[in-house]
Amino acid sequence: MKKFIVPFCAAAALAAVTIGITGCGKQGKKKTGPVTLSFYSNMTDVQADLQQTLSNEWSAATGNKVEFSAPGASYEELLKTKMAANELPDLFTTHGWSVMRYSEYLMPVNDLPWAADINPQIKPVITDKNGKMYVLPMDVDIAGIVYNADVLKNAGVDVDSIKTWSDFDKACAAIKASGVVPIHMGGKDNWTIGQFFDWAAPSFFVTNTAANERDNLKNGKFNAQLWEQLSQLLADFVAKGYFNRDVLTADYLSDQQAIASGKAAFGFYGNYFYNSAMQYNKDARLGMMPIPSRSSDDEPSLISGERTAIGVWKDSLHKQEAVEFLNFLAKSENVKRVASLSGTPAGLVGVTAEMGTLKQYYDKYAAVKTYPYFDREYLPSGMWDVMCSTGADILAGKPNAVKNAAKVMEQNFNDKYTK
Amino acid sequence: MNSFRKVGMKKQLSFKQQEDLVMYLFTIPALILFVMFVIIPFVRGIFLSATNWNGYSQHFKITGIKNYVRLCTDPNVLRALGNTLIYGCGSTLLQNVAGLLFALYLNKNFVGRTLGRTVIYLPVMIAPLIMGYVMYFFFTLGGAMNDVRAFFSQAPLDWLSDGKRAVAIMTLINSWQFAGISMVIYLAGLQGIPTMYYEAAEMDGVYGWKLFTCVTLPLLAPAVTSSIVINLIGGLKLFDIIMALTGGGPGYDSHSLSTLVNRTYFGSENGGYASAVGLFAFVLIGVISYFATTTLNRYQEAMS
Repeated sequence: MKKFIVPFCAAAALAAVTIGITGCGKQGKKKTGPVTLSFYSNMTDVQADLQQTLSNEWSAATGNKVEFSAPGASYEELLKTKMAANELPDLFTTHGWSVMRYSEYLMPVNDLPWAADINPQIKPVITDKNGKMYVLPMDVDIAGIVYNADVLKNAGVDVDSIKTWSDFDKACAAIKASGVVPIHMGGKDNWTIGQFFDWAAPSFFVTNTAANERDNLKNGKFNAQLWEQLSQLLADFVAKGYFNRDVLTADYLSDQQAIASGKAAFGFYGNYFYNSAMQYNKDARLGMMPIPSRSSDDEPSLISGERTAIGVWKDSLHKQEAVEFLNFLAKSENVKRVASLSGTPAGLVGVTAEMGTLKQYYDKYAAVKTYPYFDREYLPSGMWDVMCSTGADILAGKPNAVKNAAKVMEQNFNDKYTK
Repeated sequence: MNSFRKVGMKKQLSFKQQEDLVMYLFTIPALILFVMFVIIPFVRGIFLSATNWNGYSQHFKITGIKNYVRLCTDPNVLRALGNTLIYGCGSTLLQNVAGLLFALYLNKNFVGRTLGRTVIYLPVMIAPLIMGYVMYFFFTLGGAMNDVRAFFSQAPLDWLSDGKRAVAIMTLINSWQFAGISMVIYLAGLQGIPTMYYEAAEMDGVYGWKLFTCVTLPLLAPAVTSSIVINLIGGLKLFDIIMALTGGGPGYDSHSLSTLVNRTYFGSENGGYASAVGLFAFVLIGVISYFATTTLNRYQEAMS
């Protein structure tokens, strides 16, 4: 019966390939009547709930359906898999990567009615080198260093006196002397390690108008020596005992708990931190401060970038309806709801968000210069993981970790850089 | 014997051939799924391993063997390879020793035997990812293991912050969780040994360790083969516990080849290189499994 084996295997293989090809093909013709849009979001908790509510409201008004999905921590992996298959949701959030990662798959929005009203703070971040924009930014992420005001007060630290990393070092020493952990980091969620570099790197590479690496980075030149100095800053903080003891095995949730409960002072997180941290202690007095500069001839800065930004898949079968839904989201009242819930400025001009306790900080630091997220603007996509892993080696106190960090960052930058 | 019956001028299949044909037809659905979800992705993976594909773009370039050259000198891959061998071989050794000891003890007739078997097998029923998350709370700074240290007036230890210690802990957890599988295999093997061999041995005055090595172990050879191969493949593929406990960290210190592929693909956005590492892991596990099976089959033949 061996004569049957080869023909059967060949038949099975042919059948499998045929099924695979037909199954992977574009789905049928466009149907008339109400459509069902798929909308994926990286948001969780109350932000995801609000997006679901907005989806339901649009569905009720138009008769079309929106299948809303918020996969949480696996969102990026899921989207990457969908991009690889070229089978994306009709609409999805871009969490800071609308230009660098997702633009290949997004429909430009320059011609849409609200495009001219995009907040100038966010416009450069979402515009590619050809002037195309790809998303509706419903709010603007403004990030500094979060801190527990009571901890600083008890340690005798005046947050307004922290202008440089040297001042920050002295503040940490005072906080440590008061018996509190100066900086809490949940290194098991290794993105928290990357946060330190993303926050501190602009002060080394970008913010100093007189001497910076902006053009070099854009032109594919990476200053490894400067990165080594930045890594040494982290190593110095580790050596001085400024981090929590379980910095490599604690997680992000423990950061929220520690800072909200006064067991730690500083965290390198955006303003999304507040709503989550306040769940652990509603009476916590949390604040935001600008990121220190490297030297006294420069100034502290803030980071700005995409937060809730939504685009339409350029090959969507229901592009017209998807654009209608996007235009609905762009209505002033909806932008206000989303931005107010985030506690951040609105992404469209003429919309004023209710920012709660954070408003005092936005007002206080309105004149502070903002710069884009360092890895999104100046590093090729895929470098985030390198920052996290090299940072982990520094936190673990491995020999030559600082030099290796600079070497590995340079290697990866050169490998991944494309014009 | 001519397998065909000639009826007139036509050849007809014999009854046995018709039976065989029906059996082959039943395998077609499984074959289709195997080709679709294993063979085709495998072949595609070989192609992608020769590119600089980032894992999500529709555009990439062919880079030839560049990824394989890099793989040979990448310290992260070499470290993950070492960890994979520890997870695979270490877990296999511990699981089989523990499983055999449990089986020998729980094969005897005593009150509580069934409860004992159930308790030892229960961890197998828990999803490895859940087991990892549960164990994380044992080994975290404020976890149960440090409570034990505090009881003995020892300072708390960040158990998972050291890569080597984390690898050892995860090997132990994996071994403990799946020792029950080895126990079940060895119990089945022990119960398949005819009692006449033991009676004959007793008549010859053979007891204890000699009885075990001369009678029990040789006759357990098929069970040993099955248990070792199953445990080895499972250990070499270890993924869930690593992701739950350390995520492969600190840094890259506790990655296995499986978790490294995941991190390289999704984290480093290097789909081409991840495919190369994945292919390397496939070849490694295949080679180890082949040699393990061949060696154990020879052992089995020698024992029989």
